[in-house]
Amino acid sequence: MTFSFPEPDNYRRTLTTIGAIVLIASVTLYLALPVVALFFRTTPELFISSLCDPAVTSALWLSLSTSVISLGIVILVGTPFAYVHSRNTYPGKIIVDTLIDLPLVLPPAVAGMALLVLYGRVGLVGRYLDMFGITLAFTTLAVIMAQIFVASPFYLRQAKSLFEQLDPSYEKTARTLGASPLRIFMTITLPLTAGGLVSGAVMTFGRALGEFGATIMFAGNLPGVTQTMPLSVYVGMQGNFNIGLTISILLVIISFTIMIAVRFLAGREGRHA
Amino acid sequence: MLKAHLHKQLRDFPLDLKIQANPGEILVLMGENGAGKSTVLNMLSGLLNPDTGSIRLNGKPLFESASGVVVPVESRNIGYVLQNSTAFPHLSVSENVAYGMKARHIHKDRIAQQVDHWMELMDIKNLADVKAGKLSGGQKQRVAIARALAIGPELMMLDEPFTALDTESRQSVQDAVCTCVSDLQIPCLVVTHRVFDAREIGDRVILLNRGVSCWEGLPSDMPDAGIQSPS
Amino acid sequence: MQKLWNDKYSVYICIACLLLCAGLVAGCTTSTSQPATTPVATASATQPATPALSGTLAGTPAPVNVVPATTTAAPVTVKPVPTYTPSEKTLIVFTAASLTGVSKDLGKEFSAMYPGRTVVFNLDGTQALKTQVENGAYADVFISASNSYTNTLKGEGFFINSTVKPLTTNYVTVILPASNPGNIKSLSDLATPGKKIAMAASNVPIGTASYAALANLAKSTYGQDWNKSVFSNVVSYETSEPAVATKVSLGEVDAGLVYESTYAAAPAGTLTAITIPKADNYLQTYTIGVMKQTGSTSTAQEFEDFMLSTIGQQTLKDYGFRPVS
Repeated sequence: MTFSFPEPDNYRRTLTTIGAIVLIASVTLYLALPVVALFFRTTPELFISSLCDPAVTSALWLSLSTSVISLGIVILVGTPFAYVHSRNTYPGKIIVDTLIDLPLVLPPAVAGMALLVLYGRVGLVGRYLDMFGITLAFTTLAVIMAQIFVASPFYLRQAKSLFEQLDPSYEKTARTLGASPLRIFMTITLPLTAGGLVSGAVMTFGRALGEFGATIMFAGNLPGVTQTMPLSVYVGMQGNFNIGLTISILLVIISFTIMIAVRFLAGREGRHA
Repeated sequence: MLKAHLHKQLRDFPLDLKIQANPGEILVLMGENGAGKSTVLNMLSGLLNPDTGSIRLNGKPLFESASGVVVPVESRNIGYVLQNSTAFPHLSVSENVAYGMKARHIHKDRIAQQVDHWMELMDIKNLADVKAGKLSGGQKQRVAIARALAIGPELMMLDEPFTALDTESRQSVQDAVCTCVSDLQIPCLVVTHRVFDAREIGDRVILLNRGVSCWEGLPSDMPDAGIQSPS
Repeated sequence: MQKLWNDKYSVYICIACLLLCAGLVAGCTTSTSQPATTPVATASATQPATPALSGTLAGTPAPVNVVPATTTAAPVTVKPVPTYTPSEKTLIVFTAASLTGVSKDLGKEFSAMYPGRTVVFNLDGTQALKTQVENGAYADVFISASNSYTNTLKGEGFFINSTVKPLTTNYVTVILPASNPGNIKSLSDLATPGKKIAMAASNVPIGTASYAALANLAKSTYGQDWNKSVFSNVVSYETSEPAVATKVSLGEVDAGLVYESTYAAAPAGTLTAITIPKADNYLQTYTIGVMKQTGSTSTAQEFEDFMLSTIGQQTLKDYGFRPVS
């Protein structure tokens, strides 16, 4: 075919298209390649055989169970909290608003340190608990507390904004129809915000699952008790590389599943009113 | 029969209004934006409380500042269709209409019968299982009205009910409202800015200007000055 | 014709470039990656104490693959190597974390002895440093707290083997917070149920040493049940020695196993210690060696000479380290 040189206008368009593609590609590759590299560093046989290793199974079970419990607590306590907070004005509301975001900007290690200094055996509160024989630091409960601290903003912010954006006339109408506040919450408020709440919950779960800095400071590192998957990866990197790799891959798989779930739910919610 | 005297200090002016509506009567509230029309309805429903005054519906006091009586919104038995029709988008049409009755724990057979009846009257029976979020503005409006009527209210209030409707549906909705109100023999308050609608359905008109009534009378006698023309 | 060029061909060109890049990247990563089996073999080779102890550890959580992280500041253990370009003037020394306290003085004295030279210490658990080196981190000199790790690195070709020499030694000791919240009076109290003990993980040199010392004590004096109970009192396995000391000084645990030097150098009144008899103790030998990859062999050798000199050895002694016998 005959080739004719493009005119200046089309030439610029070409450059823009190439530029855009390069940009998109570089960002995508930068994010994707490290993850892909994980898979290339091991073989399928090695991976599958490490899955049975007690270090892997105990970390997996511990991580999943603590993250689920943390998520449950955040939802049960956080949903009514976010609702009350968004529907009312009260003195100090701005401070509470800011505090909700605090764990997002606080380095996890600092959060762990803070939890230890408060709830540790000689901590501000911990010393009184210790008198009753209640221990918090270095327990599985500490893992859950650390997860809740760092992950709750993901849910609270989402819930708060969803409730704020919900047209109050729905709830007002329901009131005039004779519905009690609880009925309104269960039949109107929740169903209309469910999609967004679930995606907030999924992100909270992901964050709790990946929590490391606060966990290691406050809960310590004990296999089967406090050695979650991220701790196990860290530990494995310095000793049993294979275990670290296997757990890293497991975490990647779980994280991807979470991401896909969020996309799917966000798409579903978009189709509601 | 509704008898109310409402007084409330709004941002720019005090609202002071005496209102009386008889059973089967459609009372139209008109006035410019910000005159306080929606505030009046909100106070009657209980979503807002007057500073002083009294509200009596069929002899029962819903609000009495002198004796401190304040009946909560949920117990006032007033059918209120708010502005920008608010059919619950995640529920089907029949679930919407049944909502108020369910909240009052009425027996489900009776609910089914009533839902059928009101959907028929508002001509939405064919949409019974459709999620209200998928309906057109006019259809949502009819759902909202049926839902309000279904609870068997002692007073009906509609805030700008005809704005989202095209000419055809407006006519049929107006007819339906008139029929229902006269069948149930309950007073009905309608807020609208359209003179045409006021003349079509109203038995009496109150013109509200900066919180006070500046004219009351029959729709046919309405002065043209100071009224917005039908859009 | 021109429209085709703009939309279709620019896309094709970009895709071709991307494929080329991806191919290059894939080629590079596969040629430099180590097979995953090697680190496994290395790890097991560096834990000689563990198989011997596995009998005594029955019933306790298996710490074989455990390297708990530090509590002082979580990122310390795998922090990025300082971005100094190798130069004549600045040395990068990977150093076992137990030398944290003494490193500052050593650096000052080295610069005083050799004006114009500075030292940057990368302090971490020896096992962490070993992993960093194996994955390409740059170091001029490597001070290891474990003979077996040193031998592994020698075998992998990272050292200039002729320069690898013993540097100093250290015994294990049990430290308690000054207030002794656990009311521990003797080594046998460590096994009392409910006590909280912090220890380093088995692949940290002090961890291996602790395990060995405890095994010796069990064999000679306290019995296997005692050993079992001690391990069931462990609440956290740390990834470096200072992390263990921190947990103890914070008062959050009742006891911890660290090096004598850490206790000797601690500020007065923060810690108390229970000595482990020399007969049962484990003497850790530190080694120092120059790395093959060093940009300046002479400067690196100068540092090694300094560390082995009277001044270097005296400074170590001041901080509680013992000389090589």
